[in-house]
Amino acid sequence: METKTPDFDDEETISDSFICCVCLDILYKPLVLECGHVSCFWCVHRSMSSLRESHCPICRNAYHHFPTICEMLHFLLLKMYPLAYKRRGKQILEVEKKRGCFSPQLANKQPDEGDESKTSNDEKADGKVSAAIKENSMSALDYDRSSDMVSRTDVLLYCESCLVVPEDEVIICSACESPHPGQVPKVCLEFSNFLEEKFPEEYAVQRKNVERKQLQFRPNNPSACMFCLSTDHLFFCCYLESSNSMKSTKKDIFKAFLSGEDFIPWWNEHGSKVHIGVGCDYCGMYPIVGDRYKCQDCMERMGFDLCGDCYNTCSKRPGRFNQQHTPDHRFQLVKQPDFFRHIMLRLTRQQRVDTSETPILAITAGDESQDSPIVIQSVDAPPVVSDDDEVYSMHVNDSTIDGSIPVEFSNTSEVPFNNTSSAAYQDE
Amino acid sequence: MVDFSRVQKELQECNKDVKLSGISVKPKADSLSHLIGTIPGPVDSPYEGGTFLIDIVLPDGYPFEPPKMKFLTKVWHPNISSQSGAICLDILKDQWSPALTLKTALVSIQALLSAPEPDDPQDAVVAQQYLRDHQTFLGTARYWTEAFAKMSSHGIEEKVQRLVEMGFPEALARSTLEGVGGDENLALEKLCSS
Repeated sequence: METKTPDFDDEETISDSFICCVCLDILYKPLVLECGHVSCFWCVHRSMSSLRESHCPICRNAYHHFPTICEMLHFLLLKMYPLAYKRRGKQILEVEKKRGCFSPQLANKQPDEGDESKTSNDEKADGKVSAAIKENSMSALDYDRSSDMVSRTDVLLYCESCLVVPEDEVIICSACESPHPGQVPKVCLEFSNFLEEKFPEEYAVQRKNVERKQLQFRPNNPSACMFCLSTDHLFFCCYLESSNSMKSTKKDIFKAFLSGEDFIPWWNEHGSKVHIGVGCDYCGMYPIVGDRYKCQDCMERMGFDLCGDCYNTCSKRPGRFNQQHTPDHRFQLVKQPDFFRHIMLRLTRQQRVDTSETPILAITAGDESQDSPIVIQSVDAPPVVSDDDEVYSMHVNDSTIDGSIPVEFSNTSEVPFNNTSSAAYQDE
Repeated sequence: MVDFSRVQKELQECNKDVKLSGISVKPKADSLSHLIGTIPGPVDSPYEGGTFLIDIVLPDGYPFEPPKMKFLTKVWHPNISSQSGAICLDILKDQWSPALTLKTALVSIQALLSAPEPDDPQDAVVAQQYLRDHQTFLGTARYWTEAFAKMSSHGIEEKVQRLVEMGFPEALARSTLEGVGGDENLALEKLCSS
């Protein structure tokens, strides 16, 4: 990272590691992406694509789930740079007020008084850093013992090693007990570097332990990391994604999505299930693919939505944007409105036709004599789509609820485009 | 709404090592959403010795959308329109990432100058020439650099002289001219607005 300390924080010199790569300011409410890179809550949210999978700003690694805030990093930053962090907090709050949507409030328990008791507080860290948190692999580094710089901060850190993925099981974060979406998480790079700098000895010892453990595990576990031993700066646990390590319908859907470079085939297959611009408040999938459940009682501008899997698991976690959702709220199943689907189909079809030699049948104004009548699709769908999700559910009506096509078009498959388009394309 | 605090930091950062990289970014007017970038022509290329001005417009979504960049200085290059100055570069389009900055984008453009990609041309005529008649291409590119991108001392003296005749102090006229890369009209605009 080439950024330097902002000049206006004379009091505190912020390490380059804790400068967000997007806003170039101190990380605020940091979250860790699947690739291990860190950014601010809003910076990640705004850089995500509402239409398809998103890419890490730094390494372009594809990801599909909006992570939760890493509380461990949050409190660490608050401790290390109280002035800069609070200043940034105020700035962000101003912006949030203006936009009317808020980031989650993190309980600010002062970890100054207690000793062992507060570890539970830090343990609640986000699924990704603590990703690593699994099972027997906890190795705690106690800041108290070695650091004079951060006084009295008992941040418990779990070694990112030994994330043993039991076969046929979804990874469950041992801290917040939420299933981990997406691929096997990687090490939080900044945190790892930070620790290595601050506690070189402990870190080295710990690394050796980890390596030993992993060696033991390798024979039984085909998904174990092959690279740990070769990297010298940190145990970059690239647990290879093995086919049996995770079982979730969502993942199967995304596998093709994430691996395939070509967007169009994916969209043709799954496009009808994508809820553009809507994310799941539990697992963070954005955009939701598959069933979407919308809370009818949450009044916040952001709304509260769940994907099918999370709706069925009945997890009890707060919303991602500080919504006041409670378990007794009612949900409504929202189908993907066909309006969007047709637009996307049309776009993708146009691209396909453009690149192939398929003859195009043009329908112009003079073609009204043809016997196939043209239905104007925009009659039941408003042409202007506001960015508010509410409009989505309004389009669900009898004729389009199951994606079926008006009768007149049953023979030409899905081409109920409006006749303002100069050309329609015939398949085959 | 452009994130101006980020833009400000970028400018500070970029202008800190101007001497080293030769790349600078300055606001065109009062607004921070319209900027002028300057890059030196890379060595060992027909653009060596030239100074190229790039017009930068920041869209509302910046840094989540790429900045709009185009050459103000005329340049003969397969991936840059010889007419409009439009640049064909993936990171300025779909490969943009919010972790990139104006400086990294300008560095990429500089790299594009030394390594043209004629298979993905912006200017078909130039690309054809690049592929079929490389010697002529080099000659034309060098000539254009000489004619449009050089702030030759002779030219600059004349321009300074003209600005002084208009009533501006000489030192100010000179520094302003250097700031805009020797473009007399831009300098005049700037002098009048300041």
